[in-house]
Amino acid sequence: MKRAIPVVALSIAGLIPVWRYEPSIGGTTSATAEPAPAPSATSTTASGTSSGTVVKGTTVNTDKGPVQVQVTFSADKISAVTMLQQPNHPQTAAAVPVLVSETLKAQSADIDTVSGATITSDAYKESLQAAIDAKG
Amino acid sequence: MQRVEHVMGFPVSLRIDDAGDYKEAADAVFAWLREVDERFSPFRPGSEVSRLDRGELAGSEVSQDLAEVLALCEEYRVATGGAFDVRLPGRGLDPCAVVKGWSVQRAAEGLAAAGARRFVLNAGGDVVASGGPWRVGVRHPEHADRLCTVLELTDGAVATSARYERGDHIVDGRTGRPATGLLSLTVVASSLTEADSVATAAFAMGAEGVGWAAARPGCEVFAVDAGRQVLRTAGFPVAGEPSAAA
Repeated sequence: MKRAIPVVALSIAGLIPVWRYEPSIGGTTSATAEPAPAPSATSTTASGTSSGTVVKGTTVNTDKGPVQVQVTFSADKISAVTMLQQPNHPQTAAAVPVLVSETLKAQSADIDTVSGATITSDAYKESLQAAIDAKG
Repeated sequence: MQRVEHVMGFPVSLRIDDAGDYKEAADAVFAWLREVDERFSPFRPGSEVSRLDRGELAGSEVSQDLAEVLALCEEYRVATGGAFDVRLPGRGLDPCAVVKGWSVQRAAEGLAAAGARRFVLNAGGDVVASGGPWRVGVRHPEHADRLCTVLELTDGAVATSARYERGDHIVDGRTGRPATGLLSLTVVASSLTEADSVATAAFAMGAEGVGWAAARPGCEVFAVDAGRQVLRTAGFPVAGEPSAAA
């Protein structure tokens, strides 16, 4: 668990500029819906479950309201980041990044086009996109 | 109609599904991209970018288009704390990463202005889609003939940054070293200007770029880290699955 707490702190630190930076477009009606609970430096808690270790971050007060994240670890990897508390404000709901962790899969599928790193003209003829273009 | 041409050193595929004659509109797409190559390529000594870099052109003399591109470059440099930087020490001015997305987005807007509604424009792996649903595969970072995910897009843009095609060409401006923290990072956004710039900038940042890109308003992210783990936003529009409520 030694690595977990800095990650949580970083997650929160990464979110705060999002609220600070964005100009407020939602007015003041919902930005401060309720008083923030007092922040506590010792509220970080961790618990193990069958699906991984869950760590709750401390509550951080931002000018849009209190923020608290929860991070789920599977072994040493983050498998989910969720918001336990977030300001009741439309722009923050859209700005909060919730990341999901998955296993990398290799698949084939019927597709219309391919996104990838910028391919060179030389490499094009061997590419999936060339096959799609040839098919018409 | 369908057309493929090679511009700026990469293939550009255009497919327009609308009935009607879009030959002129398609011609305009490729003519614009060739013009962009002439004006903005750092590899052409006579380009506006090269002349600015050599000091033959004053900052106040640049075209409105180049001023727009340089303003975007500066915006992303500041937003990434210097990880994304088109003026790396010891290298010439190279705004390619922004020019590509910006110019292809403008080409797509030209198609829409000409009346095209259902089309997909793919510039070397960066995609602008209109009037979908379109199924867009994301190339697997380790297997050129496989996909690591498929997304469904109605109107929007998809860009991917990775090292498998052109090697360690993306440099973290904070360290001056190639970015190696990720195998691949894909961004979906409403415009390719944003999707392509954010994908490149986040890739330059390495692992921390995933969270940074995810926090950009309107951006959905699918990243493969150096340990082959996928990290994606809950709202990434994976095809065949109900979209997660935001």
